[in-house]
Amino acid sequence: MNQPIAIQARDICVTYQLGSVFRQQLVHHALNSISFEVKAGENFGVLGRNGCGKSTLLRLLAGVVKPDSGTLIVNNINSRHLMTLGLGFDNELTGRDNALLSMMMQGLKKKDAQSRLDEIETFSELDKFFRQPVRTYSAGMRARLGFAVAIQAKTELLLLDETLSVGDQAFKQKAEKVMLERLKGQQTVVFVSHNAEQVNKLCDHCIWIEQGEIKAAGDTKSVSKLYREFMNKLNS
Amino acid sequence: MTYSQSFMLAHTMAVMKLKSEASKLHLSYLWWVIEPLLFVAVFYVVFEVLLGRGGENFIVFLMCGKIPFLWLSKTVNSGANALVQGKPLMAQRDFPKYVFPLAQIQENLYKQWAVFAILLLFLMLFGFMPTLYWLWLPVLIIVNYLLLVLLTLLAALCVAYIPDMRMVVQMGTMFLMFSSGIFWDIRNITSIEMQELLLALNPLAFLIDAYRQVLMYGNTPDLEHLSWILIISLTCLLLFIGLYQKLSYKIARRLLS
Repeated sequence: MNQPIAIQARDICVTYQLGSVFRQQLVHHALNSISFEVKAGENFGVLGRNGCGKSTLLRLLAGVVKPDSGTLIVNNINSRHLMTLGLGFDNELTGRDNALLSMMMQGLKKKDAQSRLDEIETFSELDKFFRQPVRTYSAGMRARLGFAVAIQAKTELLLLDETLSVGDQAFKQKAEKVMLERLKGQQTVVFVSHNAEQVNKLCDHCIWIEQGEIKAAGDTKSVSKLYREFMNKLNS
Repeated sequence: MTYSQSFMLAHTMAVMKLKSEASKLHLSYLWWVIEPLLFVAVFYVVFEVLLGRGGENFIVFLMCGKIPFLWLSKTVNSGANALVQGKPLMAQRDFPKYVFPLAQIQENLYKQWAVFAILLLFLMLFGFMPTLYWLWLPVLIIVNYLLLVLLTLLAALCVAYIPDMRMVVQMGTMFLMFSSGIFWDIRNITSIEMQELLLALNPLAFLIDAYRQVLMYGNTPDLEHLSWILIISLTCLLLFIGLYQKLSYKIARRLLS
């Protein structure tokens, strides 16, 4: 497969400085000299434990923040969508209003966003709760709403944050099916997870990040094997 | 995202907020009218019944000052936290950050129509019948709006960088309340230089006086002064929007770390 490169990251560093202006309490290197390439149309995996810098990397790729040093080049991608479930909702607003706002924030015109609401309502299976404030939702319901909103977005770069574990068994299967269809399509996908099996199932190439640094990179099989061995060692 | 799209987004957020707020209260949208009426009732009790001050027109005089001030102070104080509260949405995607304070501004603006209607009603109840000078009112409201947009954008940015600024913003609006001639007439300051200095430095003091001149006394506002405020506000507004765009990633980094 000789596809053009969609994402090129070179020596990316992100450092957080916590504390007040007068007293700095903590300097945290969330990402330290990370380099990788993602080809157009590829499903690319990022493996790592909680707190390894995955969220920071996703935010960088979503264009929310910029790295402190290094370069991140994103070629020929006009729309990107970060899919993290249950976040980014206003608890006081209804599911319907949240869905509408979420689509408008992606840059959809209000009319276009409104025309997609029915689809979201059906897919989310929220029924009468769709018109109730999100604060009345269970965790599973929030996840379903988040998934339904995210899946309708037609984007060129999809950033997934462990989203396959959604809701109950029946919804999970439905979600996984839709997701796999998406992954087979033309769009570029970056899938972030702490679960080696999921990454193995979905991605061709991946990197493994541990404490902000790349531990291994290459084809998913060998990287996920190293990751699993590492995790097993931690647990024993 | 284009400017009109961002504005539409802020507008939609504001309308949804109003809707959800109203749905939580038994009297729902009626509160938009009840709240200002209660304010007037409080003024009446304190200044007419308890203090017996100011004669028959004092209530109206007070309302002309207090209502524009409350609009400004409520917007600035709630808008100051707008960026901080927008954190969860900011973490998802990049879009113009001024949408957050703007949504707060619009929310307060839409409530304000009812309040201005009450003001006009009371003016007429107290015998101040509409004159042609009332046509200046929309102009004053626009300048008032621009002023509070500026202050809110500034406050939100300061609080995003330095959380302590929230206290300063509260103190600042309190200071504005005492220095803008709400309970007293700025024209009663005996030293003319002092009067002019206050009017020059505090655009809200000028505006409140202008509201009274237009609505109560049948005078044209000082147009030169008004246009200066308008020009300076518009220039600052453009600067602020540019600043928000420029700092977009920095604001996200600041709030998300």
